[in-house]
Order: sequence, then C-alpha cells, then structure tokens
Amino acid sequence: MRWVTRAGVHIDRAACAWLIRRHVDPEAEFVFVADPSEVPANATPFDMRGVDLSHHGSDCTFETILRRYDLADPVLWRIAEIVHEADIDDGRYDAPEAAGLDVALRGLSMICDDPRVLELTGPLFDGLYEYHRRALLLGRTPA
Amino acid sequence: MGSEPGEWVLLAYRVPREPSSPRIAIWRRLKQLGVAQLVDGLVGLPADARTREQLEWVADDVLAANGTAGVWLARPASAVAERELAGQMAAARAVEYAKLAAEADTSTQLAGPARAAAVRRLRGELRRIQRRDFFAPPEREAAQRAVATLAGEPATEPVHGGAS
Repeated sequence: MRWVTRAGVHIDRAACAWLIRRHVDPEAEFVFVADPSEVPANATPFDMRGVDLSHHGSDCTFETILRRYDLADPVLWRIAEIVHEADIDDGRYDAPEAAGLDVALRGLSMICDDPRVLELTGPLFDGLYEYHRRALLLGRTPA
Repeated sequence: MGSEPGEWVLLAYRVPREPSSPRIAIWRRLKQLGVAQLVDGLVGLPADARTREQLEWVADDVLAANGTAGVWLARPASAVAERELAGQMAAARAVEYAKLAAEADTSTQLAGPARAAAVRRLRGELRRIQRRDFFAPPEREAAQRAVATLAGEPATEPVHGGAS
C-alpha cells in the first residue's frame, strides 16, 4: 500500500512511518508531498491537515494511528507519550526523552532527505521499542 | 534583525463563545506557542517549518470547534511594524524570564532533594519559555544564570583557543 505525508519529516511523521511499517502494513511505501493538493488518489495520507490520520483534539498523529488501528500494545503507548511531547510539547506526559529525540530528529532532517531519515530512524524506534518493552517487563530501567 | 522585514505566519481565527472548553484550549495553546496578537482574532509568529505547522494544527482545532480559521504567510509592509511586533513578543517573554529568575533566587534557600526538585522544575520551565522566545530579551540570560546558580553549575567562562 502507498502512504503519503508532508515532505520535511520530523518526529511525528518519522515515528508514524515506523509504526505503519511495523504494525499496520509491512509492505508500506512512503511518498512525500509539499502540499495536500498533491496527494495521489491511491495513497493513504497521514499527518496532514484535513485527513483522518492526523492530529485530533490533543492527540498527535502517532496516537491517532494507534487508536484507528486498535493497537493496544502498552509499549507503543509509552512511545506515543514520547512522540507526543517531542511533537507538541504541551506537558501532557512525563517524557524526558522527548527533548533529546526532538533535537536528534531535527538535526537529521538538516542533513538527510526524507527517505534517508526514515531509513535511519527505523532502527532507532526499534531500539526505543525494545528498551521500553524490557522496562515494562522489569518494572524498572533496563541495564 | 536586518532592515528587511522577515516572513511571518499568521492565523486568522474565530471560535464560537460557547462551548467554552475548546475555546479555552485553543487560547492556551496559542499562549504556549508565544504568538504575537496583531488584532482581535489575528495572531502571528516568525515563519519557519515548525511555527507554520503548529499554527496549522491550531487552525484545525478551531475548525473542529465549529470556528473559522485561515493560515497565511505574510511580510510586514514596514520594518517599524515588525519591530513593534517583535518588541511586544520580547516584552512578554521578559516578564516570564523575570518571574523564573525570581523563583530561582527564592529557591536558593532550599537544600537537598527539595532544591534538586526545584532545579528540575525550573529547568523545564526555562526550556519551555526559550522554545517560544524568538527575540531573546536581556532577561533571558539573567534567568539562565539564576537557574545555573541554583543548580550549582560552575560559572561558564568563554573559552579561547582549542584546548583539545
């Protein structure tokens, strides 16, 4: 399936692309457009104004996708808190990792194009998932 | 700032008076973003990818609350208009920095875990103010210094030459 989002990806879109590929559509192909009017007819748009898979109320797009696809995995919801704070920074969650992740993603987007950012952040989110999976199982910070 | 006015992203919006909770949420969000108020229902920020995106999300929140909203990119016709806007924003941040510095000064009476907790809270608050600070008033440095003193950070001296 083809998925489309705004060019110049940052934390929310990078995290969503990872989420889509790992938990929604393993065959996902991503397209980046400058304007909502350029969305191809056969693609599912996300994190763009006026589309369903986007910000809703106080949710960022990552949280919206978790809700729409009934992804109840508590590890994914923990990652959602980090993505939410890195993206919206409204203090809704306690996610001290958010500030660092935000800077890392901003820096990457300065030196890489969008496909490359997704390529590099894939393993980063895999690692973040594994870390928080172990943290949840152990009930403390994993070594 | 040069003499040529820069680009701004503007949000023109109108939210119904009732129900009040979405209206208040939108107002809080705009306050958090540090917008300058041009006139009633028109706010702006210096344009960059992040500020434009953030105002677009607010515009969607306004539409979801049955309001009307539009996001525009604009350039002030005169440098004076821009300076006034920048001055208004810098003054708003200056008040926040001054309040933070005063809190940091008061907290130097604390010790141990209470002081460490105050440092954590004030650092977070400083980070949030800096995020919406586009014109860096002098009060910023004073606030940074006050929090650093509270944390017991060594005073930073400018480094000359390559030590490594």
